[in-house]
Amino acid sequence: MQAAIGAAAGLALGLVIGWLWPVQYTNTAPAVLRQDYRDDYVVMVAAAYEVEGDPELAHKRLALLDAEDPAAPVVELGERLVAVGGSAQDITHLARLSWALKAITPTLVPYLEGSP
Amino acid sequence: MSGLSTRQVAPVVGLVIGLVLGLVYQWGVAPVELVNTYPALLRTDYRWEWVRMAALSYVADGDLERVRARLDGLDQDDIADAMGALIEEYAAAGHPADTMRRLTALAEALDVHTSAMLIYQHTPGPSLPPPTTPIPSPSHTPTPTPSRTPTLYPTPTLTPYAPSPLQTPTPELTSTLPTLTLTPTLTPTPTPTPPFLHRLELAEQEQICEPGQPERIKVVIRDERGAGVAGVEIWLMWDGGADRAVTGLKPQYGAGYADFEAEPDVRYSLGVGELGTPLITNLRLEPCPDDEEMGSWLILLEPRSPE
Repeated sequence: MQAAIGAAAGLALGLVIGWLWPVQYTNTAPAVLRQDYRDDYVVMVAAAYEVEGDPELAHKRLALLDAEDPAAPVVELGERLVAVGGSAQDITHLARLSWALKAITPTLVPYLEGSP
Repeated sequence: MSGLSTRQVAPVVGLVIGLVLGLVYQWGVAPVELVNTYPALLRTDYRWEWVRMAALSYVADGDLERVRARLDGLDQDDIADAMGALIEEYAAAGHPADTMRRLTALAEALDVHTSAMLIYQHTPGPSLPPPTTPIPSPSHTPTPTPSRTPTLYPTPTLTPYAPSPLQTPTPELTSTLPTLTLTPTLTPTPTPTPPFLHRLELAEQEQICEPGQPERIKVVIRDERGAGVAGVEIWLMWDGGADRAVTGLKPQYGAGYADFEAEPDVRYSLGVGELGTPLITNLRLEPCPDDEEMGSWLILLEPRSPE
């Protein structure tokens, strides 16, 4: 009986310690960023592509968000920004990157040369 | 064993077992959910990449406040290291002066300093246009830009977005995009002759041994006809510093002459104008053949013939 009480107390103590001092995650990857940071990451990849002009590098960066379909976050964000009236410059960058990744959609086509 | 009875030991053993089970559950079975993290928690290389992309975004859109917001919360050392590495890399690769000026301006705003910035800090150059258009690189040119014609807009044959990896484009995309009749706007134009400074190259490098004289790196710039060219800005760069000279300020040596004092065991790079592109790298003083003293270098730069 006393052993059971001790085990219960120990279990409770362990849970409290684990909750107060959780596993420290300091070496995280972009895939687990909060949604607004993920969006910002995608916008930055598209802007960097404007300067670097390297679709392979952009593809590699985007694969950190979605390894199976790296272009998907670009298209999804671009269409979302069009829907909510986001920055035309950001949409243009996203559209151009979508084009480079062969993932352009009708919604983004008008932005290939800039704001429509 | 002395007086410890089972009644006394059991709670302690139970406590230890329970503690272990609790920690295993909390740390191993159901740990803290790894979602909704923020840039400061990224692995070091990803944090550097974040800084790098933020800086390149500034080159593209010129929005300083946006960069500050993106870098907010990151360690200043990380920012300084990543920015410094980016600027050094871009300077060494000979990226356009406007790009370098923007990066340098951003670095100064972020209180980051690196030797490759020195050239752009002291050469204001032309005013920067709003960065609304992309800066295409040679590898970017094949990307067609559609003209804004009625045929550009989607036709019924345009298939909805079909996610596809870059390496294996789906047939729909490759077969559908041409139906948009996108017209590349890249119109071939005659290639203009590059400016004089862009065409300068190393024509001759000669070691000069002058016993008792301080070691120097002497530079002579000549035009196509062999005449010295005055007023050309020359940069001597080394790890942690840079020096600037202008040809023609010592007319006794000719209109195209300028020189720098140099130190042994230092690797120098030599650049001309505001381009920041080193024409000569890994330049260092070497001992004279018949003497233990170091020799100076005489470097002749001439423009290559326009192609």
